[in-house]
Amino acid sequence: MKPPRVVGMAIDWVEARTGAVAFLAPLLTHHVPRNAKWWYVFGSATLMFFTIQLVTGVCLATLYAPSAAEAWESLRYIDEEVPFGWMLRALHGWSSNAMVVMMAIHMLQVFLHASYKFPRELNWVTGVFLLFTVLALAFTGQVMRWDQDAYWGLGIGASIADRIPVIGNQVRGLLLGGPIIGGETLSRFFALHVFVLPGAALGLIGLHLALIMKNGISEMPKVGATVEPATYRAEYEQRMEKDGVPFYPDAAQRDMVFCGACLVLLVVLAAVYGPFGPGGQPDPTLIDTNPRPDYPFLWIFGAVSLLPPASETAVMLVAPLVGVLALVAVPFFANAGERAPSRRPGMVLIASLAVMAVAALTWEGKTSPWSPVMNAWSALPTPEHFLAGRTPLEVQGANVFQFAQCRNCHSLDGLGGERGPALDAIATRMTPDQLMRQIQQGDGNMPAFGRNLDSAQMTALVSFLSTLRPEFEAPAVIPGAQLPLPVQRMPGEVVTPVAVGSQ
Amino acid sequence: MSAIRSRLMMSALLAGGIALIPATACDRLPGRPKAAQSAQEGSPEWTVEVFNTSCRGCHAQGAVGAAVPLMDSAYWRAASDEQVTRGVLEGQGMLMPAFGLSGGGPFTPAQASALTRGMRALWGGGAQKSPEISGTLVAGNASNGKSVFDVACAGCHGVGGSAGSVTDPMYLRLISDQGLWTAVVAGRKALGSPAWNEPMPGRPNGLTTVEVADVVAYLSSQRPRSMSELKP
Amino acid sequence: MSDRIQDPGAHSPARGGDEKPCVNCGCAERTAKQDARRGFMFRFGAVLLGVGGAIAAVPILGTLLAPARRQASAWVSLGSADAFPAGQTRFATFLSPIRQPTDGDAAKTACWVRCISPGKYQVFAVNCAHLGCPVRWFAQSRLFMCPCHGGAYYEDGSRAAGPPPRGLFEYPWKIDGGNLMIEAGHLPGMEQST
Ligand code: HEC
Ligand code: HEC
Repeated sequence: MKPPRVVGMAIDWVEARTGAVAFLAPLLTHHVPRNAKWWYVFGSATLMFFTIQLVTGVCLATLYAPSAAEAWESLRYIDEEVPFGWMLRALHGWSSNAMVVMMAIHMLQVFLHASYKFPRELNWVTGVFLLFTVLALAFTGQVMRWDQDAYWGLGIGASIADRIPVIGNQVRGLLLGGPIIGGETLSRFFALHVFVLPGAALGLIGLHLALIMKNGISEMPKVGATVEPATYRAEYEQRMEKDGVPFYPDAAQRDMVFCGACLVLLVVLAAVYGPFGPGGQPDPTLIDTNPRPDYPFLWIFGAVSLLPPASETAVMLVAPLVGVLALVAVPFFANAGERAPSRRPGMVLIASLAVMAVAALTWEGKTSPWSPVMNAWSALPTPEHFLAGRTPLEVQGANVFQFAQCRNCHSLDGLGGERGPALDAIATRMTPDQLMRQIQQGDGNMPAFGRNLDSAQMTALVSFLSTLRPEFEAPAVIPGAQLPLPVQRMPGEVVTPVAVGSQ
Repeated sequence: MSAIRSRLMMSALLAGGIALIPATACDRLPGRPKAAQSAQEGSPEWTVEVFNTSCRGCHAQGAVGAAVPLMDSAYWRAASDEQVTRGVLEGQGMLMPAFGLSGGGPFTPAQASALTRGMRALWGGGAQKSPEISGTLVAGNASNGKSVFDVACAGCHGVGGSAGSVTDPMYLRLISDQGLWTAVVAGRKALGSPAWNEPMPGRPNGLTTVEVADVVAYLSSQRPRSMSELKP
Repeated sequence: MSDRIQDPGAHSPARGGDEKPCVNCGCAERTAKQDARRGFMFRFGAVLLGVGGAIAAVPILGTLLAPARRQASAWVSLGSADAFPAGQTRFATFLSPIRQPTDGDAAKTACWVRCISPGKYQVFAVNCAHLGCPVRWFAQSRLFMCPCHGGAYYEDGSRAAGPPPRGLFEYPWKIDGGNLMIEAGHLPGMEQST
């Protein structure tokens, strides 16, 4: 059956006035390499997620109140009252994360296959700019949630800006839109999130796609098939002519299937796990909070806590610049020659290291072992077997251990902070004297408690810690000492430390 | 062409059908956020929540804790509500912090007494404070207390005893008289410490209020008055 | 077909005026005079655009860049000085003296007040000197601890442990009519000296 004549006429009418068919047809029929199988679907999936962001984002903008006084309430309203509102937010949130992940995979694939080499250097560069645009969208999106994480996340951003020499304060003011995090901050980030950044992303995506059309899709790398800028373009076009397949339907079918699967997965994730936040209400006087950034930024959160304080400012300010420059520079330093990963072991190594570093830092950022567990002291009981058979003084020592918030940084039985080492078997490592010194004077990242605990508390604490060892293991001795110290206590005897600092 | 069309129709129908699932079942999907609700003050859930974040670290899960276990009915038989509420608000001894607003803590007096009542309801085992023994400290006679101690306590707490010293000045610095009182009356069964408001072998009535007061007075008299007395 | 865009150099029918018809086909021939005039018109337009743009840029840049200007802090009361017992550190809140109508709760600010002895205070920002997370005071160990990266500070605000490069930020304070006043209005940051 032929399509009705009227359809053809309509198409002709539009075509005569727009040239749309003449413009679009080559997009669909241009030849792509035959062997560009499933490797090449990630860019399309990123684009699909971006489209979802546009659509759901515009819908959200019709419901969201971009005012610091009302934003949080309006999100609660969308979640709880608006029909399908929570699902809309869930789709927007999950699709945002999915877009970042998909973009990272796409970028990794391009990097590993060296598709950025001549003549596609600018494809890569626009891609790098897109990467940062999308990350900026993710960060400003977290701010839109306007909950405690958003508030303190902005505080972290402001603190970093503050460290810029000379103009730090001005930069911070521009970032926040004023001297505090407040109404103008949210308005500023709203403008960025819904106007500036999506506009930039659309422009960059257009450029990215135009460059793809101009330069063609790169072939799968083959050992020995080197890129020679002088002859590459002619040879590529020849090969496509001879051996390529039309984008539609040969390559497009895979894009369709992959994007479809991604979309179904997205819907399932959104339906099952729901929207992200909003967390606690954005009242900065509610300080009982544990601010954490969204997933795409956890690795940065992790990195800044692991940096040595001395180098921190320099690294925080310089590393992002170096990162951007290095990424942009990639195709200019290596724009010819081999593309096969097996011939570029250095690049493969760099990519693997980068992936591992980001993954490890994300994990660290998620678990944040360096953070004290703020209510461990009042919430995590002393395990039973550390109390049984102890003297009253030692039991009081266990109380001191909780009371002095040691538990916030030190775990017993795996429960408690991980800022300092677990102390389950500390008596096998330290003598009472050493314990006393450690607690009084602190060490490294352990604060000194000398002025904060009186000698009875200190004595009880040390005598409790001196019992923390497995029964079959000997207590610690001073290195070089002939005999174990008499920590083997007689019933009723008190372990009296040698030197108790005066108060 | 018709093949394409029917294929299109099929997939449109399929997509529409799938879209109907969330459209009709949206309210029941697992991802739908639950409206946040905080437990009502004084309710059992509220009590447990407060206990778990603010008290459990020292006052234990179950019967064993570094400080008196509050999930133990023996304690609630020995303690009066006023005394517990005062302890929560003002702290006690050197190691129980003040949780009242006026002491820099989080609770109003009303919340503290709601917490006390909530805990008694949950863990008191239905018991009111036992009438035989006063929950609050009464003044005793230290020298009488010494003889009670020698008879009733020294077996475990004296030199060579199994339970460790309770006359150790360092220990006594850390615990208040009220704390000693509770320790003697309520005991710590899980740690082997007897409750003296219960029948004991050879003492069918445990200790009388006066005897407890005396022994606490004796222990209290062993407490160093200033830190300088503690210096070796 | 007359609306087809033409090469600038192509001949188009004469339009009268001082353009004289060209010898070959009667279209307007470009004279040096005409070129000069077109060049002038273009430059004139450019100048107009430049002037207009410059004027329009004042409010655009002015509003965008205004927050870079530093505003003066202001004194704000934390309430009666008697509410802060000697030897203790207490939580206090105030409304930022510099605020906008749309700030909502965000204008509320928290701080820690340490009363060393009656009439002698230290008022600390809650913001950790590392990256600004809210530090919490633990009266028992007399430490401030930060939930983000493990910074810890002693009672007097000095750094005890962790990544902070310095001690806690302090607000200038004074006693006025029995009230404890602090000078505030900015998110505490590195540029503030203790
Ligand atoms: C059967 C042995 C036994 C007897 C008799 C005994 N106690 Fe105890 N007592 C213990 C044990 C076991 C503990 C738990 C050890 C601990 O708390 O470290 C204990 C703990 C204590 C504590 C410390 C409680 C705390 O929380 O710090 C005090 C005070 C105490 N006993 C006082 C007494 C007094 C007073 C008497 C005499 C009236 C007495 N005990 C009789 C075994 C005994
Ligand atoms: C702010 C977190 C923090 C607090 C609170 C804290 N510690 Fe530590 N502690 C640490 C860190 C970090 C270390 C490792 C020190 C180093 O860098 O050498 C440590 C080390 C120790 C060690 C030595 C462990 C070893 O294996 O070498 C002991 C013992 C110890 N702490 C006891 C305590 C006691 C007792 C308290 C409570 C009075 C306490 N700590 C409170 C962070 C803390």
